[in-house]
Amino acid sequence: MWLPLLGMIAGILIGSMLALSIPGAYVKYLSVAVLASLDSVFGGIKALLEEKFDGAILLSGFFTNALLAALLAYLGDRLGVDLYLAAVFAFGVRLFQNLAIIRRKVFEHWIHKKRQHPVGEEKDAENR
Amino acid sequence: MLKIDKWQGYLFIVLFLLGILITVQFRTQQNFLNDLTLQKTEDLVMMLKKLHDKRSGLEKELQELNRQTQIFQKDVSEGAVLAENLRHELKRLEIALGLVPVKGPGITITITTESPLVYLDLVDILNELWASGAEAIAINDQRITSWTKIYWDKNTFSLTINDQELLYPCTIKAIGDPGQLEAGLRLVGGVLDDLAIYKIYPVITREEEIEIPAAAPPVLYYISGST
Repeated sequence: MWLPLLGMIAGILIGSMLALSIPGAYVKYLSVAVLASLDSVFGGIKALLEEKFDGAILLSGFFTNALLAALLAYLGDRLGVDLYLAAVFAFGVRLFQNLAIIRRKVFEHWIHKKRQHPVGEEKDAENR
Repeated sequence: MLKIDKWQGYLFIVLFLLGILITVQFRTQQNFLNDLTLQKTEDLVMMLKKLHDKRSGLEKELQELNRQTQIFQKDVSEGAVLAENLRHELKRLEIALGLVPVKGPGITITITTESPLVYLDLVDILNELWASGAEAIAINDQRITSWTKIYWDKNTFSLTINDQELLYPCTIKAIGDPGQLEAGLRLVGGVLDDLAIYKIYPVITREEEIEIPAAAPPVLYYISGST
């Protein structure tokens, strides 16, 4: 449970220590890539909660989604079509859907545990 | 306990990368937003106005400071002129008092052989030299100042100048117009004629440049100041 959180913190720390900055012209593509990877991460968490988690799918999705989103945005710019808006829309919608599912799952887990707990106590009482 | 689930490893990698991505993006966006071209027109107008006000204020300050600098410079230059004048005056007074070595054209009077010279003769010579316009005089490199003593020391039986015995050959150096000084000494019925009576024949030579040493400064103990 704590290891992924640690990874996030380490990533943020290293990212701020690197002092890396991207030229202004590529900000748009990077933002779409970030959105795509965020979507992948939430998708992964959702899969985890649904107990359908597959590491390979998560990793491949993470990289390909980010790269493809950035590439599509770039291509859209070249062609004069705001494809990056489509990417933002698609990933945004999915992000919120994933978030909603995660919330529901977490909620279910929580309530489940709470209901189970008194039952366990009752069992303990019976055993006594 | 130490066993790590596979999903945690994957999520660790993914979240680690996401962290880096987000920070980079965050910083880039921050830099981007600070760019002037992305500001709202009203904000820019406000900024322009503020900077304008600031600039005019600073210009006023600059003018004020420039004025002050000018005043200070004037003061400094006046002070420098004053100091220069004082230094000049000090130099002149030091020369006059005989506190610094001096040089210039003049004459030397040499009394070679031991002769029946008395201190009055020396005083006569000095008086004549001063009267002829001498500006600095030394006897045997003893600078003659207003506190020089010339007397006959009864204990050592010697002619004494500033507590120092006069040794022969005695050389008197005087800075001034050489012609005038020599003329003053050779005046008919003057000093040289007087000395000739006692068979003293000083040798007078004109010099292009003679150097006269400084005298020791006077000890002022009771004088507390000028009136």
